[in-house]
Amino acid sequence: MLNAIKPPKPPKEPRRRWTKDAVVSNLAYLTMVLPGAIWLILFAYLPMPGIVMAFKDYRLQRPPEDYWIQNRFIYSLIESPWVGLENFRYLVLPTNLSNTIMFVRNTVLYNLLFIVAGLICSIALAVIIYELTNRFWAKLYHSIFFLPFFISWVVVAYVVFALANHSGIINTALAAWNLPPLEIYKEKIWWPFIFLLGNLWKYTGYSSILYLAIITGIDRQLYEAAAIDGASKWQQFWNVTLPHLVPTIVILQILAVGRIFGSDFDMFYTLPAGSVFVRDVTTTIDVYVFNMLRSTAPLGYPAAVAFVQSVVGFVLIIVTNYIVRKTRPEMALF
Amino acid sequence: MSSSSATPTRQRNLLALPFGRAKAKPERDMLSISRSTNVVLNVAMVVLVLLTLAPFYIIIITSVTSEASLTENGYRLWPEEFSLNAYTYLFREGSIIITAYRNTIISTLLGTILSVVLITLYAYPLTRPNFRFSTFFTFFAFFTMLFNGGLVSYYMVMRQVLEIHNTMWALFLPSSFSPFWVFVLRTYMKTNVPEELIEAARIDGASEWRILLQVVLPLSVPGLATVALFSAIGIWNNFFNVLLLVDRVELYNLQYTIYSTLNNIRFLLENASRMQGVVNLADLPSQTFRMAMAVVTIGPIILAYPFFQRYFIRGLTIGAIKG
Repeated sequence: MLNAIKPPKPPKEPRRRWTKDAVVSNLAYLTMVLPGAIWLILFAYLPMPGIVMAFKDYRLQRPPEDYWIQNRFIYSLIESPWVGLENFRYLVLPTNLSNTIMFVRNTVLYNLLFIVAGLICSIALAVIIYELTNRFWAKLYHSIFFLPFFISWVVVAYVVFALANHSGIINTALAAWNLPPLEIYKEKIWWPFIFLLGNLWKYTGYSSILYLAIITGIDRQLYEAAAIDGASKWQQFWNVTLPHLVPTIVILQILAVGRIFGSDFDMFYTLPAGSVFVRDVTTTIDVYVFNMLRSTAPLGYPAAVAFVQSVVGFVLIIVTNYIVRKTRPEMALF
Repeated sequence: MSSSSATPTRQRNLLALPFGRAKAKPERDMLSISRSTNVVLNVAMVVLVLLTLAPFYIIIITSVTSEASLTENGYRLWPEEFSLNAYTYLFREGSIIITAYRNTIISTLLGTILSVVLITLYAYPLTRPNFRFSTFFTFFAFFTMLFNGGLVSYYMVMRQVLEIHNTMWALFLPSSFSPFWVFVLRTYMKTNVPEELIEAARIDGASEWRILLQVVLPLSVPGLATVALFSAIGIWNNFFNVLLLVDRVELYNLQYTIYSTLNNIRFLLENASRMQGVVNLADLPSQTFRMAMAVVTIGPIILAYPFFQRYFIRGLTIGAIKG
């Protein structure tokens, strides 16, 4: 979110080396960052070299006794033969191509849908909350809209189930009016709506907080001047409110673009509750990788997908940020 | 030059945000929306609020429906017969939910404490202009937000290198640190702890640790509370790492326990017609019981929410927005 994750600009002094002098004089600070740095090494940096699995025919093997490292994974990773793009080729084989297109399409389209709908709804909510004249009610509404953020997708899966299963609330009502039942676990058509609604329900209140804080900070004199010039509320929004929000929107979108190949795994995995009939509209890249990981397929295949996901995300975020920095430097993320 | 003064233009541009100085919004003035618009918007908000709360209502009301009336009439907005049987059954002796509750509480407590300690210790030095490696460690954390090794590699490293699978560690260790919250807390400390105060303490001969504990921390309480809350919620709701790294029932947390039972019941219900004679619907694991499980899973969050929400909104907005 915004400035919080902007790293500070490189300091002006040219020399920041790991000299003995520098370490000694900063020993207290270094001790403080050490535990966090160890966590980052173990849980974030250690898995990074494993990304080369995408280019290997990975097979688990036991290291010989005299090998320098006795860990089976590391040994197998190093010793497995390189196969070039073989694992990627598997994904575009005639038998697999439509499947690959399916989960990539799902991931990208759902992301675009959530980005656009989320942006519109959270800004609209922030503006409305701000405009309400009774502050007490406005705050109460906002607190309630924020609540779903803390509820896990597993619980949401229960709600979807209670609403729309065979004898669920919706189908009981439909039956009472002699209408055909809704079979959400068998019909694909409903899932984009379920995911969109779930996503808005969970995140709109949360993301509007940021916009609300910015709107609250806008100088009221700007609105007064606009109102005196005869601008309507709508014009005030486009000409005063929105320009103040744009830098934040841009930064959040840079991050969102970097996650275009990612997805909210918990949501896509838990809401369909394991139904196989709707797989074509509920499988995203993350879900696919996870399912492959749990299957008996060679690990190189899901690794190839995960590689594309990580690298494309990384490249996209660098490129978007580069373009933003060239055109509007003050809006770039780094 | 301090790193906080190194980026004045960028910060000013981004955040024309005179938080304290902005005139308080008056109840009604020339800029206010008309009374009728206000009424319309309030009605819209109330409808949305009800829709937002509907899911909570549904699982709570289902959990107190009697099993017989659920089987007979299906799920209803207002059940014909109430019953608290599901809850007494839930907390009987030896129930899986008690183990799951225990695991969730232990991992949430340990994980929250650990993450607050790790994040605070990492964030504070990054606010200090005289920390010579501040740029390095900022980048060290920031890079992990942009790039990762992918799920397959993560899975293998957790299981075959760190070997934390099927241990209590798997429930909280992978989620007990976060670069994002490091940066939020760093920003919070920068804006809320006056530089002069730290300088004064240093002149008085306080060590860096003492400055952190006695000067910086007391002034960062809302920021710390926000970090603690979000870590706690994250670990309480942890589903992914349990799915990935835990195969033993006695280590399942609440989220995973209720997920696996939902999966089973959906399969049985949807296929009941095909399995006529094999499965009797009445013998299925009680459905009200499952909803009661969902209720006790979110219960603590809902009960605690009114008390903590005022803290985190403040911690979040100041930490994430102000320079």
